[in-house]
Amino acid sequence: MKTIIFNKHKFQISNEGILFWFDKQIAIISDLHLEKGSSFAHSGQFLPPYDSEETLKKLSRGIKNQNIKKVILLGDTFHDENAFNRMSEKAFFLFNLLIKKYEVIFILGNHENKLKIDHINLLNQYVIDDIHFIHQALQKSIFQISGHFHPVATIKSSIKKITAKCLLHTNNHIILPSFGTYTGGLNINDPALKPFVNNKSNVYMLTKKSIYKFTIREVEI
Amino acid sequence: MSDILKIEPIDNWLKKNNWTIYNHQIETLKLSENGYDVLLVAPTGGGKTLAGFLPSLNDLINNKPKKNKLHTLYISPLKALTIDVHRNLTSPIEDQGLDIRVETRTGDTSAYKKNRQKVLPPDMLMTTPESLALLLSNKESKDYFKNLRYLVIDEIHTLVNTKRGDLLSLNLSRINAISPVCNRIGLSATVKNKNAVLKFLTSKKKAKTLNVEESSVPKIDILETNNRVPWSGHMASYAIKDIYQKIKKSSLTIVFVNTRAQAELVFNKLWQENDNNLRIAIHHGSLEKEIRRKVESLMSLGKIDCVVATSSLDLGIDWGDVDLVVQIGSPKGISRFLQRIGRSNHRFDEPSNALLVPSNRFEYLECLSAINSIKNKLLDETKEKKGSLDVLAQHILGVACSGPFKVDELYNQVINAWPYRNLTKIKFLEVLEFVKNGGYSLRHYEQYSKIGVNKDKFYAIKNKSVRNRYRLNVGTIVESYMLKVKLGNRTLGQVEEWFIEGLNEGDTFLFSGRVLEYQSISNNNVIVKSTSHTQPKIPSYAGGRLPLSTELSIEVRKLLNKKQSWKNYPIQINEWLKLQSKFSNLPPLNGLLVETFPRLMRGKKRFFLICYTFEGRNANQTLGFLMSKKMQRIGYKPISFVATDYALAIWSINEVTEVNIILNDDLMLDDLYEWLEETPLLKKNFRDAAIISGLIERSIPGQKKTGKQVLFNSDLIFNVLKKHEPKHILLEVAREDSYRGLIDLDRLSEFFKRIEKNITHEKLDRISPLAVPLILEINRQTIDKSELEEYLLEELENEMLSEVGLN
Repeated sequence: MKTIIFNKHKFQISNEGILFWFDKQIAIISDLHLEKGSSFAHSGQFLPPYDSEETLKKLSRGIKNQNIKKVILLGDTFHDENAFNRMSEKAFFLFNLLIKKYEVIFILGNHENKLKIDHINLLNQYVIDDIHFIHQALQKSIFQISGHFHPVATIKSSIKKITAKCLLHTNNHIILPSFGTYTGGLNINDPALKPFVNNKSNVYMLTKKSIYKFTIREVEI
Repeated sequence: MSDILKIEPIDNWLKKNNWTIYNHQIETLKLSENGYDVLLVAPTGGGKTLAGFLPSLNDLINNKPKKNKLHTLYISPLKALTIDVHRNLTSPIEDQGLDIRVETRTGDTSAYKKNRQKVLPPDMLMTTPESLALLLSNKESKDYFKNLRYLVIDEIHTLVNTKRGDLLSLNLSRINAISPVCNRIGLSATVKNKNAVLKFLTSKKKAKTLNVEESSVPKIDILETNNRVPWSGHMASYAIKDIYQKIKKSSLTIVFVNTRAQAELVFNKLWQENDNNLRIAIHHGSLEKEIRRKVESLMSLGKIDCVVATSSLDLGIDWGDVDLVVQIGSPKGISRFLQRIGRSNHRFDEPSNALLVPSNRFEYLECLSAINSIKNKLLDETKEKKGSLDVLAQHILGVACSGPFKVDELYNQVINAWPYRNLTKIKFLEVLEFVKNGGYSLRHYEQYSKIGVNKDKFYAIKNKSVRNRYRLNVGTIVESYMLKVKLGNRTLGQVEEWFIEGLNEGDTFLFSGRVLEYQSISNNNVIVKSTSHTQPKIPSYAGGRLPLSTELSIEVRKLLNKKQSWKNYPIQINEWLKLQSKFSNLPPLNGLLVETFPRLMRGKKRFFLICYTFEGRNANQTLGFLMSKKMQRIGYKPISFVATDYALAIWSINEVTEVNIILNDDLMLDDLYEWLEETPLLKKNFRDAAIISGLIERSIPGQKKTGKQVLFNSDLIFNVLKKHEPKHILLEVAREDSYRGLIDLDRLSEFFKRIEKNITHEKLDRISPLAVPLILEINRQTIDKSELEEYLLEELENEMLSEVGLN
């Protein structure tokens, strides 16, 4: 894990893409996109439907033994409005386990506008101290932790270019990488991310084994 | 030579042109008339194509079958060949005023023409395996092919044991079910295993192979030059002046190269030499169709002096009176070389004239071996491949698109196709389930099944959109995602996305025979501008390199060990080998030479290990993967390796001290399976299988994914599938393709037997003469990608930290 100081609060990022706020016993994860695989079926593309199980397993493995009480999901937890109903029994079981074991805060994502699940409340934002938890970063000076963009970064080594999921930290913004098994990425040099990238930005590139921190100058922009 | 054909107009036409009839043409006709399927194996030239069409012409002219029914189908692996053959056939038909309609149908044919062909079929249709698959997926296909009498398959040897061949074979079997009376004629270049080709052509008992021997021996020389053959490289720049002189003396020369990059460079250099203003053109697969067509027509009109070409001009097209073929670089395979040589003096009874230009020292030995092999009539062997399941999946959907089918009927049809003869019913049903709805037994997926079953147990597609999607995904060739190169409003051609990704704004590169400056990508176009630079910064993009055939590499090994014949080689080759034996050692006939030495690479000290196996690129690559894995485990931190046909070079962060431990076979073969699961190759093969089988689509109407996105997604799917359904048919396909393409396991076990306890380890303080070509080889294969990335990122991060004084 690597430490990120964000408005004097201490956060830790794991190489899987889970952001911990241990002082508050909180884990923050973004863009699970559950049932993305099965969402293609209606068009005749039958992708292996095991992505939700994978994602939820990875999540519970990542936070257990970490002294966590609360989980904040930063939106796009479900890939579409019917995703919840499509989950396999196993995925459903894992999901229920999660919401029983932890206090789970669901932030509303752009994929979830029409989503309705009994007893689950989707919030537009959630605030602890001076930190705002939202789905998509706003160009405001408040301190925000968000997701939505699925950021990835590319770095040029002496041999080849390496692209990996990353956490983007710029001034008052932390933008988390996507966590879902079938989720792709948007390079941080994309115009959509431009408002949240400047010469003070740091990226934390996540690999199978570790986390590597780079300043924006080292990364391909 | 022989009497007449008894096809009056054809006889008249031949007589008018003063052409004689060959025996094999008459024999083909006779056999076919007696109900035989015929495989005609003959060298280039010699009226092979006419022989193929004689039975059909005979029937059309003498028996006058029903009009406006498709009578003859001609299938060729190349679009260009269908056009060429169409032109050649039209000549006697027009000359004799025959009432025979001949048309082509390929991916380039206009929708209007395709529609007209549907309503009013020509007598003869020339097409490709992919277009045939599309034709057969039409609802009316049964009707369309009902009256088919003749099927001619050209260059059939290039299709056997390939996925394209699998697709064709399945469709042939389907045509057989529609029109059992149809006669087949296969046309093939000389191949080692003719019987396999005949079996591929037909399952009939009445089937025969006609073999025509080459009547003249081709005249092949290695270029004599006063310049030195370089240590390495593939560009043969040293020989350009000499080649230019040869071109000047000939009326039409084809300069064959092995890659598009070579084509661009050689073309560029030839023009720099071109004081006589010779008309020199370039021809390769990435160039815009219009540009290629223009070159081709200039060739046949004799308005050109030289063409620099890749395999795009390989196959049986008669582009004009070529009197010299120059091959730059090793031809890499004997059969391919013969094919290329055949481009010159494209007439049966005159010898072909060819010049070999080795581009480096190893290739000099290879070229010598090629000439020896041709003298001794050695031919390459292709490994047999069983029918691929991803192709079968595509085919099943295609059949369903054409109309309802019954399972047993289709199964019997499928196993009638030679590559699928051993397919079990269980496997077939598994593929069928996969096509229906992915085969995951999920209710959600079932409701969207592509294929439904009615109460009479007929299978059919659920709706029209399934057919439309199928049509967009037909074919077995999965290409890298290509971007158009735009100079102003002109499209020059296409390049692979990965090539452009490596460029920065302002970089210059060679394309379409000119130096271009890269500016930007916009709307999937690569925007370039002209530049005054003559030396491009980025040489050119690679791709399309051919592996050396097994037979040739054995010959090279023998040559290397014949010390007494070295004196016959050019002085620098002689010197090179002598120097090597003095400085290090020579690779023994039995046993293995291993060299280790330190070397700076991009400013960092690396340790190199070279194995001179001479086992061919594929086996060397496998060995490279396995050895890297082992080195990783021991802690040598391997970075990457280069595998050529001759040798393997691995470089690492730490020095390898115990060579014997790394080359211990038992442990290594245990690693093989585990390793294969991690290779990028398996993932790439999985992606291809996923696309061919229809799991992932090539393109969705109105929305084009970039190639990278497809790759990314298929990797994710691959990982999930491996965990949850390790025996999934697509994983099976990917594994089989990988084993076949890359592993060469048999050869590797043989190798280990041969070298056992016979390893010569030369510890050097610097690079050896024999290793120079290897180190300069750019073909870099990533080891375990994720591990490598960890090292590199670690290094980069450390560098940065020490820069700011934190480390």
